[in-house]
Amino acid sequence: MRIAVSGKVRCAAAVVAAALSLTSLSACGGSSGPGDAATLEMWTFKQSHVAALRNAAEEFRKQTGISVRVEAYTPDDAYTTKVQSAAKTHDLPDVLETHSDGEDMSLGAAGIAADLRGLVPAAWSDRFEQAVRTSGTVTDQKLRESQPKDSKLHGVRKGQRFSVPFTTGTFGIVYANKRMLADAGVTRAPATWEEFLHALGRTHAEDPVRGGISLGLKVKATGLTWVLQPLAFAQLGKERYEALFGRDASRNFASPDGTRVLSMYDRLTPYWMPGTQSLTIDEADQAFAQGKSAFDVGGTFTLAFLRQNGVKADDVLAFGLPAPERGAVPHRALGPLALTGLTLTSTSAHPDNARKWMEFLSGQKVAARFAKDSADLPATALGAEGVKVLGPTLGSMIDSFDGAPGDTYDPSLNDFRPPGYDQDPVGEVLADLTPLRKSTPAATGQDMRKLIDSYWAESK
Amino acid sequence: MAGSRSAAPGAAAGRVPSGCQGPLGRPAPGGGPASAAGRAARAGRRREALTGYAFTAPAVLLFCVMGLYTVGYGLTLSFAQWNGFTPHWTWVGLDNYADVLWRDPRYAPRVHHAALNTLWVMIGVPLLTVAAAFPLAVLLNRAGRMQAVLRSVYFLPYVTSGVAVFFAWTYILQPDGAVNALLGQLGLGSLRQPQGWLGNPDTALPTMIVVSAWGAVPVAMLLYLTGLQGIDRSLLEAAQLDGAGWWRSTASVVWPLVRPITSIVVLLNLRDSLQGFQTFLVMTDGGPGDHTNVLGLEAYRLAFLKELAPTLGLASALGWLLFAAALILALVNLRALRSTT
Repeated sequence: MRIAVSGKVRCAAAVVAAALSLTSLSACGGSSGPGDAATLEMWTFKQSHVAALRNAAEEFRKQTGISVRVEAYTPDDAYTTKVQSAAKTHDLPDVLETHSDGEDMSLGAAGIAADLRGLVPAAWSDRFEQAVRTSGTVTDQKLRESQPKDSKLHGVRKGQRFSVPFTTGTFGIVYANKRMLADAGVTRAPATWEEFLHALGRTHAEDPVRGGISLGLKVKATGLTWVLQPLAFAQLGKERYEALFGRDASRNFASPDGTRVLSMYDRLTPYWMPGTQSLTIDEADQAFAQGKSAFDVGGTFTLAFLRQNGVKADDVLAFGLPAPERGAVPHRALGPLALTGLTLTSTSAHPDNARKWMEFLSGQKVAARFAKDSADLPATALGAEGVKVLGPTLGSMIDSFDGAPGDTYDPSLNDFRPPGYDQDPVGEVLADLTPLRKSTPAATGQDMRKLIDSYWAESK
Repeated sequence: MAGSRSAAPGAAAGRVPSGCQGPLGRPAPGGGPASAAGRAARAGRRREALTGYAFTAPAVLLFCVMGLYTVGYGLTLSFAQWNGFTPHWTWVGLDNYADVLWRDPRYAPRVHHAALNTLWVMIGVPLLTVAAAFPLAVLLNRAGRMQAVLRSVYFLPYVTSGVAVFFAWTYILQPDGAVNALLGQLGLGSLRQPQGWLGNPDTALPTMIVVSAWGAVPVAMLLYLTGLQGIDRSLLEAAQLDGAGWWRSTASVVWPLVRPITSIVVLLNLRDSLQGFQTFLVMTDGGPGDHTNVLGLEAYRLAFLKELAPTLGLASALGWLLFAAALILALVNLRALRSTT
């Protein structure tokens, strides 16, 4: 069928079509404009930080006239891809909350994060807790990690700084439902690994479905980094623990040491909450909040999320993952590290204002208010007022930081592992041991050794 | 199609314009007014062709930029090491292909394992889809007045938002989800999965195959339905006159006649199973452990979830290997289609 169309209409249609094609092409480029100097944008991957950050932003606006728009993108993987795609389309915000000493540096190596070297004076950095004061800075260890061409840090230079610390804390904090503990006759926090297993046995016997332990094992490395590693450190001591990741077959995961710590970890198998292997970290925490498990493994940051999901801090007991009674370090402490940092993006149109906002967040009063609003530990030293501000539950977690240097498990240390080491595949192998029951401790040790050896072999 | 033929300038040039025809359809004698009319008609066709080109220009330009450019870019990237942001690529030749196929112990074993899982998906999804879609289409074809309603109902999985549906599936398949509850209600408690259908490494992949097939059945069913409605009824009547019952007619007359559609359904599902990963990303992220890791998911992980490590080239190489496999499958299918039609 033909439709009669006049010449003028044809001509107009052709012009419109050509214009459309040009429009579609021009849309492929594009970048964000300079924006409004009085408005900043910040992204975070922690939903539990949003309200506290917005409160701080309101205070910042009153003091400086600069507004800060805070947006959250969760979970972590979604945040990662969001940041990468925004960097490609020049739509990055001014400030990012990043994972300290990892994500911040890979963003720096990629040119997405601005170098803050020389821009964080002592008056600013001295506000932070001593242990995390230089977080975000390229140290000798990070420089070594960056040497292989296929390292995600490749290209960074010593002394560069890609974030300032924002929150601190540690992994391997266990939360227990006080009511379930009482129902099972458990009256205090377990002091040793054996007591912990005993308490788990009691709650599990009381309620075989809801009396177990939850952990977001869908995120591959949580079992490895939050439970096995601090447990192995306490059982073997620092030097033998680090040797597990080495090339010496008589001391690495394939050795009797490896089999022993894997067997100890395997003792959790009967007590996992059904289906915990299919849950993300947030989903596992939600399950605990809903009373589907008696124990939940997380970090200091987990309390904020639990609170957001309706759990009262007084209803939970929090303690560091206990050490084995007869281990090499029976009083092992869990070393605090900077968990998240504030990163200035290299494309920020208002870097001076963005830095003002970052510095404002590190102020003692602002950090104390943030801690109270978010139930998370700020990197800023809160001084004598700290414990009062943080409350007894967060305070008890801080107790787990106290230990002699040799007795403190420091999760940020990585120089004993092969360059390019990726913890996720190792976590997948470990999952076959527990909770999946597809392997034995000895066979899992062999598989982990094989995988870690492949990283050693490829480290150039 | 008539429209496209009339708009083609080449086709118009070889024919006598209809305005020049005599009363019996022959060319009119003489040249004066007729040739003027012919020129006018040719000019009209040229304008029409130009209009057609202008309307297709946006699509062609978009294809050149978004299609050809990205394809070329992706192919080039597969010979380089890059994280997506650093200013320079490091050329590595065919190393990326060798690394994912056999050489690098960090990547090759994972790719092999993912390839095995993908193979199971490629076998299971097309088989299940055909096994469910064809009988459904046959039943629907006999449904009479309810056909439109039922067709919409069966098509629902396809039009419902993918991510939301797959999240719903994960809840349904959890230890305390609807599937286990239903089995309990039906007295089939021994079939329940205490760790959830996605939490048990022995059931996770088969469950994912079933969910993937569930999403593929609507389109396959519609294709079969179209094919069934195109079958000459006299063929079925002849079979019935020869004494063939419903089962025999369906198996010996209908099924062979819709074989080309089966080939298309199988091909589409093979391709989706080979390259698709969204369902796996949302529902299992390759877990538990790595028991549901598939090649598409591994490529996605290498591209975007390596914390800016320079593995984009590896992801691209894996993507091109998947493309090559899809191409071979398409050629094999085409060949099979030709030999049976």
